[in-house]
Amino acid sequence: MLNRINQRYFIFIAVISWALLLGNILNIHANGASSNSFSTTNYLNHIAKAVFVLAIFMLQRIRVNAYKGVDHMGYLWKLFTRAGFTAYICAVLHMGYNAYARQHGGTFPTLLETLYAVNFAFFVIFIAKGFYIWRRLILLQKTKALEFEWRWFEILLFSTIIISLFRLDYTSFIFIPLLALLMLYALFLCLHLNWVAYLTAIKRWRSLLLLVVIGISLLIFYRYFLHMSRQPGMVLAYLDDPFLLLTSFFVLLYAVASLLVGLFSLPTSSVFEQKREDLLNFQRLSQLIQQGEDEPQVYHTLFESAIKASATDSAWLEIIQEDENEVIEMHNIDEESTIQIRDLVEKFTLTNADYINNNLENNPEFKVMGLPYKSIYVALLKSPHRTFGILYLLKELEHGFDRETINVIRTFTSQTILTIENLRLGNEAIQNERYKEELKIASSVQDSLIPKTFPSDSWFEISCFSQAAKEVGGDFYDFLELSEGRIAIIIGDVSGKGISAAFHMAQMKGIFHGLMQDDLEPVRFMVKANQALNHCLERTSFITSALYIIDYKLKGLFFARAGHCHTLYYNSMTEETFYFNTEGLGLGIIRDKSYAKRIHNMHYDYNPGDVMVVYTDGIVEARNKSQEEYGEDRLREMLAQTYHLEADDIKFAIINDVNEFSQDMPIHDDQTLIVIKFRNVQPNFQM
Amino acid sequence: MKITNQIREKTLTISLDGELDASSSVMLDEELSKPEIMLFSKILVDCENLNYISSAGLGVFISHLQRFEDAQIKLIFFNMQEKVRNVFEILGLDLLMTIVSTYDEAMTVANE
Repeated sequence: MLNRINQRYFIFIAVISWALLLGNILNIHANGASSNSFSTTNYLNHIAKAVFVLAIFMLQRIRVNAYKGVDHMGYLWKLFTRAGFTAYICAVLHMGYNAYARQHGGTFPTLLETLYAVNFAFFVIFIAKGFYIWRRLILLQKTKALEFEWRWFEILLFSTIIISLFRLDYTSFIFIPLLALLMLYALFLCLHLNWVAYLTAIKRWRSLLLLVVIGISLLIFYRYFLHMSRQPGMVLAYLDDPFLLLTSFFVLLYAVASLLVGLFSLPTSSVFEQKREDLLNFQRLSQLIQQGEDEPQVYHTLFESAIKASATDSAWLEIIQEDENEVIEMHNIDEESTIQIRDLVEKFTLTNADYINNNLENNPEFKVMGLPYKSIYVALLKSPHRTFGILYLLKELEHGFDRETINVIRTFTSQTILTIENLRLGNEAIQNERYKEELKIASSVQDSLIPKTFPSDSWFEISCFSQAAKEVGGDFYDFLELSEGRIAIIIGDVSGKGISAAFHMAQMKGIFHGLMQDDLEPVRFMVKANQALNHCLERTSFITSALYIIDYKLKGLFFARAGHCHTLYYNSMTEETFYFNTEGLGLGIIRDKSYAKRIHNMHYDYNPGDVMVVYTDGIVEARNKSQEEYGEDRLREMLAQTYHLEADDIKFAIINDVNEFSQDMPIHDDQTLIVIKFRNVQPNFQM
Repeated sequence: MKITNQIREKTLTISLDGELDASSSVMLDEELSKPEIMLFSKILVDCENLNYISSAGLGVFISHLQRFEDAQIKLIFFNMQEKVRNVFEILGLDLLMTIVSTYDEAMTVANE
């Protein structure tokens, strides 16, 4: 907004001062006043001219600054279309005047002066625009130092206006060295030609053309003003002014410098463009992951980029999958040739290294094939762990693969490998996420297999605790009410952990519920369970289990232990705490009928107040920091201290003790604990 | 877990050093699955430095038990630490496998 107001302001000043200048000049002509350089009217000319020049420069400064974008050729185009073309108008006007003057005879000073002033305005606009457009180009990739240098250049240049304002003789020996120094300064600034390097070949040609046209504009103006300065009777020699001379010198110098640099860098521009193309391809390869591309697309991009970067005549790309080579990309070659070349290359290539031969003609075996190629480059797509594929590049030229090309191709291949590995990692991460999700489901399924509600009656209480070391575990326990006052309790531990253990645990639960419908005695159950597991348990797996049947009517406890941890018992009559040390082999260890000989029925009469503790090895094998195990003795000691408590409290006391013992050590095995306490009360069903 | 083999004529002595857990039992299984193992008539397992045996470790011995029995290869454990022996006993394996206290005893049992 401010700029727009300033622009109008400067336009206003420029128009007024120009009108004043022209009016004054015409006035001088009309009055026939001699061009006395110190007369007031003449002095007014200089002030008006200086004001006009300053206003135009300020205006262009704002305008050019408002240009957006980095299309440098566009700047040149603007310079020509918005200012440069006026030189041709100037020429036409001058020729028009000459023709008019010839036709009518004599001279027309008023018309001539008017045209002169118009052309002067054109020239100033052109120079000012050129000056500030060059400024934009010079300050491309600016540094602080450069910006500082430019600011001082501008300040020094503008200070030369004072010289013309006071009509000092700038050709005197005081000013000449100063102006020469300023010219050197301008020359120094003209060395900043970075923008030329960023032009593509086509734009470079166009820019050169535009620079030539702009140069011609400058030439026309020069010729015109030179011609006019020799014209007698003109009031003002416009260009007799150090500021304008210096700025036009600078504009011309920079145009010429740009033209020369552009011209001489033409042959190398293709190299730059190739590099930039390589860089872009490189970026494209690395960006493929973000775009969610798949492997074939990555390989395709590599293939296309490699062909472009090396300008090969023929190429193919094969990927290695499960030791099989599969050609996935081909360029200008038939399958038969690929097989021939591959066989040959395999003969003299060292495995796990790239192969380059720039002189295939010297190879007699290759010559026999009658193929037109003279250079070959075989690049392996290889990470430290594995080889993903092989890229074959062929050229019909000798020494077709120089070091530069090979480096670029290698960069491409390593980027490709990186991209492929990242893609795979990404996919794996997704897969892992899915596994985790499934494990969560398994965990919740398993959780639902463990009873949440316990059988309760007035003659016994029961309390359970279970904790898996991983998401899913191999411990299990269950209850089944066989009849009134008769309940079956099973506990078990499947060898191993994780999903397979969880499956066997579920199986065991099924076997328990299936077989115990018939109210089997514990040994019969174990033998049948062993038989059933025979078909579904792998050789290295086994299950330890213990089955208890508690009968209220008989006041008895019937059980069998199949390799499971010994049952801990507190007898309230003898006030003893002990383990039932019974024999019994785990399930799935012997798979024939002889198992029946390895398991025994046990019977024990319980008294009210007795406590039975059933657990898995995760409890007694819980370790502390010095790798000590909790052990059966500590467990027995705990029960000896807590037997008088309720079943729940006994359980909590034991668990707390185990946790205190193992402290912050992670549990390495599933833990299960069941506490059963026989009560002194009449059962409900008999009331 | 370190597994070292010592061969004397037709007797193979395997020394187990460390903890036989889920990962190290895979090593042991590989060792016992080698075909040349069937050339021996006696396999003695030195458990002196075996500090811990997991159910996976037991599973490895269990899975090879029948195979050795069929090939009439004697499998004898000796020098077993108390807590490891306890694990064998709880599972009932002490009645299925030969577990003795010393190397000499093991050799005597093996030569019976």
